[in-house]
Amino acid sequence: MSATIAGRRSAPAADVERPGSHRQHEVLRLLPGPLLVIILVFLGALVLIPVLYIFLASVNSDIGVANGEFWPSSVTFDNYSKIWTSVGLATGLTNSVLVAGSTAVVSAALSVSTAFVLVRYSFRGRLSILRGLLALQSVPGTLMVLPVFVLFSSAATYLGIQVIGTQWGLFVTYLTFAMPFSTWVMVTYLRGLPKELEEAAKIDGASNLGVLFRIVLPLSWPGIVVSGIFAFLLGWNDVLFASVMTRPESQTAAVALQIFGASQEGGAIPYYGQMMAAALVCAAPVVILYLIFQRYLVGGLTAGGVK
Amino acid sequence: MSTDASHEVRPAVDSTAGRAPRTANEAGQQPGPKDGLRRKGLSERNRPLWMLIPGGVLMIIIIVVPLLLGIYMSILNLDQYTLRKWVSAPIIGAENFVEAVTNSPLLHAVWLSVSYSLLAMVVTLPLGIAAAVATQNAFKGRAVIRSIFLIPYVLPSFVVATVWRTMLQPGGIVDEALSTVGIHVGLWLNGPQTFWTLVLVQIWASWPFIYLLALSGLQSVDHEVHEASALDGALWWNKLRYVIFPYLKGPLALAFLIGMLHHINNFTLPFVLFGVPAPTDVEVLPILTYVTSFQSFRFGLSAAMAFISLVLIAIPLFVYLRAVKLDDADTPGAKK
Repeated sequence: MSATIAGRRSAPAADVERPGSHRQHEVLRLLPGPLLVIILVFLGALVLIPVLYIFLASVNSDIGVANGEFWPSSVTFDNYSKIWTSVGLATGLTNSVLVAGSTAVVSAALSVSTAFVLVRYSFRGRLSILRGLLALQSVPGTLMVLPVFVLFSSAATYLGIQVIGTQWGLFVTYLTFAMPFSTWVMVTYLRGLPKELEEAAKIDGASNLGVLFRIVLPLSWPGIVVSGIFAFLLGWNDVLFASVMTRPESQTAAVALQIFGASQEGGAIPYYGQMMAAALVCAAPVVILYLIFQRYLVGGLTAGGVK
Repeated sequence: MSTDASHEVRPAVDSTAGRAPRTANEAGQQPGPKDGLRRKGLSERNRPLWMLIPGGVLMIIIIVVPLLLGIYMSILNLDQYTLRKWVSAPIIGAENFVEAVTNSPLLHAVWLSVSYSLLAMVVTLPLGIAAAVATQNAFKGRAVIRSIFLIPYVLPSFVVATVWRTMLQPGGIVDEALSTVGIHVGLWLNGPQTFWTLVLVQIWASWPFIYLLALSGLQSVDHEVHEASALDGALWWNKLRYVIFPYLKGPLALAFLIGMLHHINNFTLPFVLFGVPAPTDVEVLPILTYVTSFQSFRFGLSAAMAFISLVLIAIPLFVYLRAVKLDDADTPGAKK
């Protein structure tokens, strides 16, 4: 236990950033020292205390959590072995990885080619498409979920294609809703690429596809990664569509956790420890992805301004 | 904008494109009145427009068609009995809308949604700005602090909601911590205070977004500006107020719009935090629309509510779309 805390504390020291010379520092200074420390400590605590609590509660007993303990009186890791069947995380995570992962790959591929055409070629309706991409990002999911559900049910009734309750239905839905933002990320990224290389390739006789595959793709992989990750997050974080369109065997982790949490109401003490352990497990892939690609993701966030 | 330069005339391009399009893909696309576009260096010939088809088809089938379907459903008398054969459901015109406005919690939900979004925004703005200003200057461990600040934003909403739901249980950690300093708040997840619970959790989850955009604004401040204000001997508060903050106006206006849209559209947070049926004080628009559909099975009414909320969303969205430069800007809406 204490090892974890020590590791947390020593982390900042490992990451030394050389400040500039003293004079330089004074010129750039925005806040007086004490105020700076107060802000950093306050906001740091605001974030870290709940995050630390998730972990502590996940190794605590349910009674301990219910009584409002911060430091567990007895530490157990049982919760982490129980959640796979009790919450249904084994199925949930498999489905989430499958659906969100394939959404990420396909959406990244589609958005590169779409953005490539939008950025490099002119045609009637180009600006309308760009505007539409921005507008579609803000269409509320609650507006779409009922008609999409009805549409998919109709596909079963009239065409005999079962979409509701399958991973395919979720995949197609997430893919479509990820497209506007992913494409917009790629549009902003491709705009920043110099055109000269593509022009040179064209003079050398490359076809459009040749330019896309040989020039644009190798140069834009940071953008592709970002747009893929955002598509992944959309699928991973969604509760709305997954709660309506899945059956127990095609449930995603988000829905599994939500249902587990909601089913704890009333009666005995809820399985808080398992809830927190499952929450941590669901958050882990997202946080790891973010830590690895932090630099690119932050750029993408500010460029598109959407989660 | 400095980026304009990259879209200026490129004699080399135009002559190549004009001389001999070499690729196999040379379909007879109609040449348009594109003088202005050619000036931007966009190619007009030999366009691989077919690449737009897969994405376009998807968006038409899964977004545009359901959108129209949703509007159509809002004039139908649709419940669990007629849903299966919605094509032949009776058309009742504006009745759903009349009922939504006069005889449903819709207006209350609109009021809740707007006030909760605004309240959360009003608190997250100073938090985000303070965080951005505090991490702008280099110091030991800044990279770690910056990563930490983004954690609430990165955590999935359903995780945030599950965790706060646990922490806010009666007698849970939050109550325990507050009672040590003698504060007793009462129920967080039930009753009239739920509205404030929602606002607080939303603030916790979304201030890093403001922080990110404020940071991008700070980074556009030139070094000379710092030097000039140092020469003038400006006090830190005056420097911030008169020198630095004007740079943040554009990014923060953008953050305000997008943040409002996010809050108003946020379904997951209230849904997981309070469960359904939600307490009436947190029955925000998305929750109400969802409950009307999937708990009360009043599908037509729900579609009408969804349509009304779309109109509500359209106001900030319209401002946003007007502010974004579609063609030139690297960052949308970053007016400088």
